Amino acid sequence: MTEHDDVRDLLAAWAFGALDPADAERVPPHLAGCESCAAEAERLRETVRLLDGPPIGGLPARPAAGLPPALLSRRPAAPRTAAHAAPYAAAVRGLRALLPEAEGRWATPVVHDWDVHATVAHLLAADEALAGRLGIAARVPASVLPQDTRWEDAWNRRTADVIAHEHGRTPEETVADWAAQADALLATPEARDGELAARAEMLMGIRLPIADHFVVRAFETWIHTDDIGRALGLVVPPPPEEHLERLVRLAVRVLGLALGPDAAPVLFSVSGGEQWVLGSADEPVQAELALDPVDFCLLVGGRCTPEEVPRGATGDAAAVRNVLETAASLAWL
Amino acid sequence: MESTGDTSVPPAADAEVHRRLIYGDESALAEVYTAYGPLVRRIAVRVTHAPAAAEDVAQEVFAQLWSRPYAYDTRRGSLRTWLSMLAHRRAVDWVRSEARHRKHAHADDSALHTVPEPGPGPDETVVDRERSLLLHTALAELPQPQREVVHLAYFAGRTYRQAAVELGIPEGTAKTRLRTALRTLAETLADPPDPALERGA
Repeated sequence: MTEHDDVRDLLAAWAFGALDPADAERVPPHLAGCESCAAEAERLRETVRLLDGPPIGGLPARPAAGLPPALLSRRPAAPRTAAHAAPYAAAVRGLRALLPEAEGRWATPVVHDWDVHATVAHLLAADEALAGRLGIAARVPASVLPQDTRWEDAWNRRTADVIAHEHGRTPEETVADWAAQADALLATPEARDGELAARAEMLMGIRLPIADHFVVRAFETWIHTDDIGRALGLVVPPPPEEHLERLVRLAVRVLGLALGPDAAPVLFSVSGGEQWVLGSADEPVQAELALDPVDFCLLVGGRCTPEEVPRGATGDAAAVRNVLETAASLAWL
Repeated sequence: MESTGDTSVPPAADAEVHRRLIYGDESALAEVYTAYGPLVRRIAVRVTHAPAAAEDVAQEVFAQLWSRPYAYDTRRGSLRTWLSMLAHRRAVDWVRSEARHRKHAHADDSALHTVPEPGPGPDETVVDRERSLLLHTALAELPQPQREVVHLAYFAGRTYRQAAVELGIPEGTAKTRLRTALRTLAETLADPPDPALERGA
């Protein structure tokens, strides 16, 4: 390239004032001797001058430090909760942030045979069990179930009933009811007080402190938000780190219970986090297994299979497979 | 001098702040507002020439990020250029709607005199403002790859080499995009769009 070609290529950047000093020094000497470049330079610089417009009367007054309240109020205020309910509060905010993107696309298939509308209806049904224990009335007429229905069957039946009910309403109405129920859950004394939340309740076939049931709600809300995001072509980021840790810790505990005290012991860890010995405490560890925390959650949530989950594993392959398969079989959601 | 406040933010940090915004962390909004508020205001006032309107545009831009965080997609560029382009688009829209109102109020002479005209003689200012708006409208309609480089070079004060690094493109590409963009703008002036068509659009 000649100096002429070189400088000509720089003229737009020069006109925008976007050259570093070494480049900028090359321009004037060439313009002095090259009529066509000088004309081009003048034309481009004039365009930038006109883009600048007439001198500006003043800059906006420097606003007071901190966020304007009117700006914050564009989203519902964050509920005050105790630490155990914070992951659920954040997950609810995360789904609320995503749902406007579903506008006009409510019928997009998500998971199972649910569209976006039905997925929100499912969450309305899924949150209802905990809400009921905390004294919040159901928003959809009760389902009629035989006395001895197994919890999984009751759970599936309730979701089906609620989805059928909500499909007779607009998605906006379903979203409003889901959000109102979530807000009511987050406003309960049990959401704000760790001691009140220490009481154990049997829900979804498992007896856990209410505090943990709140974490389960966060888990499921996030997983379904991720489902909806995938369906809409949007990347849903995983929950904030400290919430993800709580999700992982609870899932590990439930996994430990499912494995039982006789399983071949495996040293399990999540990358960048804690480690646990799963299975028998009386034998030496037979294998080590490391998973990414998000992958582990997706495995437990049934969103990735034991075969495909990326892992670091050493030792007895059967012991590792047992842990992965048990995690996947929790089929929480 | 107002500080530009344009601390360079790598994309990983954008993804993290976006994650916090999505989950409703108000401190993330405060950080973004502090980091990019000056840039957004600078663009808005450059286009509107009206400080009060520029402040409204700036609020609208951050309100959009807060209430619709998924409108920004971290896969498609940095938060800085996204906010910058949104501020520009909104400011151009504001001026165009203002211009329409002024035309409608044409019969009402008193309305014209309520807007103080700073700077040089009124006629010159009006012509310059019209040309400036014409150019900013054309800028807002450039293809996104060109617009991104122009925003970094013109509004955020980057050299074309810095803009290339920030966008992850070769320096030669950044240079070419600036050139194509500025030539398109220059041609807009030489051959302005038909005002009748503009009104219909």
